[in-house]
Amino acid sequence: MSKQTGKLKIKPKKLFGAALTYLIILAVCFIFLFPILWLVLASFSKTGSIYSFKGFFPTAYSFDSFVKLFTDTEMYNYPRWFGNTLFISLMSSLIGTALTILTAYCMSRFRFKSRKAMMKTTLVLGMFPSFMTMTAVYILMTQFNLINQQWGLIMIYSAGAPMGYLTQKGFFDTISVSIDEAARIDGASNFKIFVKITLPLAAPMIVYTLLSSFVWPWSDFILPKLLLKNKDLYTVAVGLMSLDNTEFSRFAAGSVFIAIPIIVFYFALSKFLINGLSAGAVKQ
Amino acid sequence: MENSTYNGITNKIRAFFAAKAKAVKNFFATLPQRIKNKFAGAKEILTQGNGKVSASMCIMGLGQLLYRQWGKGITYLLAQIAFLAYFIMKGAGDFIGFFTLGVKQGNAWYGIEGDNSVIMLLMGILSIIAIIFYVVIYISNIRDAYRIQCAADTLKQPVSFKKELSSLLDKNFHKTALALPIVGVCVFSILPIIFMILIAFTNYGGTVVPPALVDWVGFENFAKILTLGQFAPTFFKIFGWNILWAILSTFINYFAGLGLALLLNRKCVKGKTFWRLFPILAYAVPGFITLIAFKFMFSYGGPINQMITSAGGTAIGFLDIDAKWTARLIGLMVNAWLNIPSGMLLATGILSNVNTDLYEAARVDGASAWKQFVKITLPYVLFATMPVLISQFIANFNNFGIFYFLRGGLYMDGYFLASDTDLLINWLYNMSIDNNYYSIGAAISIIIFIVTSIISLAVYVMSPSYKQEETYQ
Amino acid sequence: MANVSLKHIYKVYPNGAKAVNDFNMQIEDKEFIVFVGPSGCGKSTTLRMIAGLEEISAGELKIGDVVVNGMEPKDRDIAMVFQNYALYPHMTIYENIAFGLRMRKVPDVKRDKEGNPVPDKNGNEIPVMRKYNREELDRKVNEAAEILGITEYLKRKPKEMSGGQRQRVALGRAIVRQPKVMLLDEPLSNLDAKLRTQMRSEIVKLHNKLNTTFIYVTHDQVEAMTMGTRIVVMKDGYIQQIDTPKNLYMHPANKFVAGFIGTPQMNFFEGTLKKEGDIVRAEFAKSGAALRVPCALLQKVSPRYLGGDLPVCIGLRAEDISLEPEAVKNSGTTIKVRVSHLEELGTETLVYGDINLGYDGIGESDTKIIIKAAGFKDYKTGEIVEAALNFGAAHLFDCQTEESIMPQIPEYNYLDCSAENGTITFAGNKIKLPPAMECADGQGEMLIPVDAINFGGDIEAVAESCEDVNGKKLVLLNVNGNRLYALGDEKRTGSVKIGLDYKKLIVKTGGGQTDPMPLVNGLDGRFVSEKITENIDGKTKKVTRYYLEINGVKLEAPEAVYQKMFAATTGRKVYNSVYRYEWSPYDVALSDSGVEAQVVKVLDYGGEKFAQCSAGGATLYVKCEGAPQGTVHIAPDPSKVSVIERERNIKIV
Repeated sequence: MSKQTGKLKIKPKKLFGAALTYLIILAVCFIFLFPILWLVLASFSKTGSIYSFKGFFPTAYSFDSFVKLFTDTEMYNYPRWFGNTLFISLMSSLIGTALTILTAYCMSRFRFKSRKAMMKTTLVLGMFPSFMTMTAVYILMTQFNLINQQWGLIMIYSAGAPMGYLTQKGFFDTISVSIDEAARIDGASNFKIFVKITLPLAAPMIVYTLLSSFVWPWSDFILPKLLLKNKDLYTVAVGLMSLDNTEFSRFAAGSVFIAIPIIVFYFALSKFLINGLSAGAVKQ
Repeated sequence: MENSTYNGITNKIRAFFAAKAKAVKNFFATLPQRIKNKFAGAKEILTQGNGKVSASMCIMGLGQLLYRQWGKGITYLLAQIAFLAYFIMKGAGDFIGFFTLGVKQGNAWYGIEGDNSVIMLLMGILSIIAIIFYVVIYISNIRDAYRIQCAADTLKQPVSFKKELSSLLDKNFHKTALALPIVGVCVFSILPIIFMILIAFTNYGGTVVPPALVDWVGFENFAKILTLGQFAPTFFKIFGWNILWAILSTFINYFAGLGLALLLNRKCVKGKTFWRLFPILAYAVPGFITLIAFKFMFSYGGPINQMITSAGGTAIGFLDIDAKWTARLIGLMVNAWLNIPSGMLLATGILSNVNTDLYEAARVDGASAWKQFVKITLPYVLFATMPVLISQFIANFNNFGIFYFLRGGLYMDGYFLASDTDLLINWLYNMSIDNNYYSIGAAISIIIFIVTSIISLAVYVMSPSYKQEETYQ
Repeated sequence: MANVSLKHIYKVYPNGAKAVNDFNMQIEDKEFIVFVGPSGCGKSTTLRMIAGLEEISAGELKIGDVVVNGMEPKDRDIAMVFQNYALYPHMTIYENIAFGLRMRKVPDVKRDKEGNPVPDKNGNEIPVMRKYNREELDRKVNEAAEILGITEYLKRKPKEMSGGQRQRVALGRAIVRQPKVMLLDEPLSNLDAKLRTQMRSEIVKLHNKLNTTFIYVTHDQVEAMTMGTRIVVMKDGYIQQIDTPKNLYMHPANKFVAGFIGTPQMNFFEGTLKKEGDIVRAEFAKSGAALRVPCALLQKVSPRYLGGDLPVCIGLRAEDISLEPEAVKNSGTTIKVRVSHLEELGTETLVYGDINLGYDGIGESDTKIIIKAAGFKDYKTGEIVEAALNFGAAHLFDCQTEESIMPQIPEYNYLDCSAENGTITFAGNKIKLPPAMECADGQGEMLIPVDAINFGGDIEAVAESCEDVNGKKLVLLNVNGNRLYALGDEKRTGSVKIGLDYKKLIVKTGGGQTDPMPLVNGLDGRFVSEKITENIDGKTKKVTRYYLEINGVKLEAPEAVYQKMFAATTGRKVYNSVYRYEWSPYDVALSDSGVEAQVVKVLDYGGEKFAQCSAGGATLYVKCEGAPQGTVHIAPDPSKVSVIERERNIKIV
């Protein structure tokens, strides 16, 4: 009896709750979508300047900005920037992933004397935001003659990557140790175990590491701004920042073009990303 | 209810400090013993090592050669020769240069090539690293000689050079695998940190840049920042705003992210994955693009002002030089837009791990939705995300991008090379990269580090994650 | 195809915790040994030490004739099966099985492309190591797969297979290399009950087929009992008992083994035993029940427990208690039980009850009883039934030490005796004691260890029965109506003559007692080495000699001794440690040189004389002739020494 009345009472309340929930969700989604939508539409604007817009949106649409982006390279050489970014990101991603995976594997599988000390050191070093030492990095790079050198950037990016080994270590920790032990009894050395057993098993983690260490240089602006003074060496981020105020739609087009790969990557890996984030959170 | 929670917390704090006091007492009680243990190995080698071990103490590798361990002996000998050659030809000079930072002032006019203090500092650090490295190898050489003696004395086969090399791919694979990452981290993370710390104690910067000679000045830079007219007011103004900013933005991002995750987690919401795509979209766009776009949005010619003017109003300088609080507010909002999505993703992941039995039990007990949130969800999420929360706090404290893009390069009256929205990190950038105040910048870096590490350590130590961990151990 | 010998194996962790204590065992070729015990008992650690996955802290491990202590797992020629299968998830079943072969090389001779041997200049074949070739791999993998019936799955990945099939693959991976020893670490505990039973018999069959030594770890006593040829029961790092399944069941060495082996668990009751003439009165605590048991059933129980004052633990298995009316009527030893509940298992019914009739049926009780009755019998809860106890099958334990007080081989025979003027009267015999045994006059008892009775004296006895225990013969003797156990090597029947080894006797008379002579002399000392120049074949050579140093006296250590001491220590620790050297009194002699000692007195045991000496605080017993006095020198035989490292308290030699 009481159950019946309870049900009757709750129903409209529940409906109202659901409606309110959807309303908030719609509002939130709008907030997140709108600036991006604005940017995308601006990239298709016929006139380049933001002053020609009516309110938020362009008055006329065309592909001009994209065409200009790749053809009008005298002042702003976008294809070149794009190539530079791709090269730096790819190299950093490859080297960085190799170093990260090696570090995570060792930290997960070996119990050596200085292991605890090293883990603590990386924790403390992590407290220095990489950024804070940029003065020092700048001076060092000047002394080493690595200013205006793409390899200088690549070295910094890939050398910094192993500091974020915890997610990968968490993954290796989940691979049963008895698999390693079985391989040891089967006669494999630790190197063989790493190459023949651990690496193939860690394939998804390697892909994740590759992509996430690709994204950092791909969208970073501080280090390239600091270390690349030559216009020909600019990455997309530095290049877009150097654009004149009047070139809004060109900026928008360039942004859209560089954001697409990352957006695709995030969508493809969103589930993985959640797991990775939370795994790192609980393990630490 | 309130009271019991309060008591619980005070008890926890008391228990924590009692445990810490015990640990500290224990630390000092066992200290002599532990020091003794540390040196027990050295004492054993000194008292029991034979002549061949002593030979290795004089010349690296000699003992090994006397024991007919050719590979090891020659390797150690070569290392010794290489180091000596380096030290005589370069290292000794570099080492002395570290302390003097140059004595001869260069003068292009007279064609005098003087000392470059910065390079000398750098080379000095490298020479010290080389010396430390040599000492480590030297000790390993003595240990190795003693190990060979032990093996010989107990009729065991000493580990051969070849075996030791092949163990680098097996038992000691970690040494091989970690060599490169460690070198990388040392050169690109630790070396800059050491360099920065040392620079904070020199007068490098301003007019004192090579060819002028740089000198050690002790704590002068810190004194300047904290007391001197030029820097002190700016420092304290920026510092206050920086703390406020870090707390506000962390708080907003964290709870908005959690709220969004809870909202999308509600049973009545269909198509969760679809709705989640929108925040992820915002998360995926590179930060600098969003920031520049927002700057455009709030600029004089931007869409918002266009709408205001077309509605008959006058354009507002949202980010103008006198727009202190609007600019700050916009900064907070833009930062929230950028960071809520990652907070949501994190919270979603954590929430999916909550034991649903707890909610069932709570519902059976008749707990309201709010009670369930406060008693189950919040403690669990806080526990799981405390380390992340701390790192977010630090990231926000050092959030360079937001105001660099929104209001970069503004210098205001009452501020020395900074604006009222700048954080310490922006000031640091202005001073050292744009205006060559290297030593002051380095000192600011150290202050930032000390502040952030104290705060995060305190928060972490008080947090449930840390305590739980202790009870698990 | 090898035996495994574990001698004084220890696992000590850096924090001092000992996971395995003094593990001694000789595993014969082709045996199926099961290590069983509750979790944390050290069984897996022991297995992992044999595998080489865990370092051995001390002791000597031999596989075949090779000491493998420091050897890598791959060089030990063992294979291991893990609890969670530990298959390589990314490889096919074929690759999983072949992996171990691919990692190894086979000895061969140098060949050209056609496979013909290429001889060296002298026409000899050149030995080389080469990898297995395709055909060999195929043949070996298929052979293994066939034995385990997984041929059709060779192309699959592990995740496409069921738990049972995966375990078969794990077995296949182990047997393909034809290892000397197979190690199995709880291989069945991840399987469901039905599959477990099936795999159990398959592993036994596999063992019969392969003719290899198997060492199998489990926490399940049913697995242990059904599979093992011998079982090692462990608890808290100590071996409790090593025996065949039958002996474990029939003669558990202590209460733990008794309770661990057999389902349902053995019933334990606290009680007392009091000898009253030809019967023993067994009283059950809290129940008030008292049984009259014929003395013959408790022959091996030491009389100490038959006084009615020491509490004993009476263990009876459920199957040794009967509710059948016939049995109850015929049995002289029945007890009243209040039934609390039943478990109907079909062929039998487990009746749960309590012998404390006042027990309310709720809460903890140490007087609970489980009885195995025939299937589907109608007993009601609360009903009081009469149960017949088969006391002949009872196991009795000391309540404190939990050791069996009626072991298969009893330690002592207890006899009443009286002493007068150095002459002792017992069991109708009058014997003059040797001078060394000074006992006070009066009544008392004497304790004769079973191994102190030899066949060849002048005491008349009748051998009543003879029991075979682990190769030794336990003879039950009747000496004028007193029953004595004697341990011998040969079967004896009928009239025999026996003698006593006085050194081992304990006589308690007139308020005092004689002590048996200690059979171990312990001396603390160190280990040293010395370089000396020796003249060998006319050439002077520098050689190193190794010595046991006791009180400043050096005894040259034989190679077998110092090699073991070196093997048990790391670094130069052997030169910095204090050792306890132990010898039997027969392995030390008085001589001109050696450890200086003062003779306290000479113990004359009739035929043998021993000098009791004191040396630097230690008391030593030395076999001697005549009557040495004052300061003497003692020379132990270094080749017969036992060495104990004091710091870790570990026996090394």
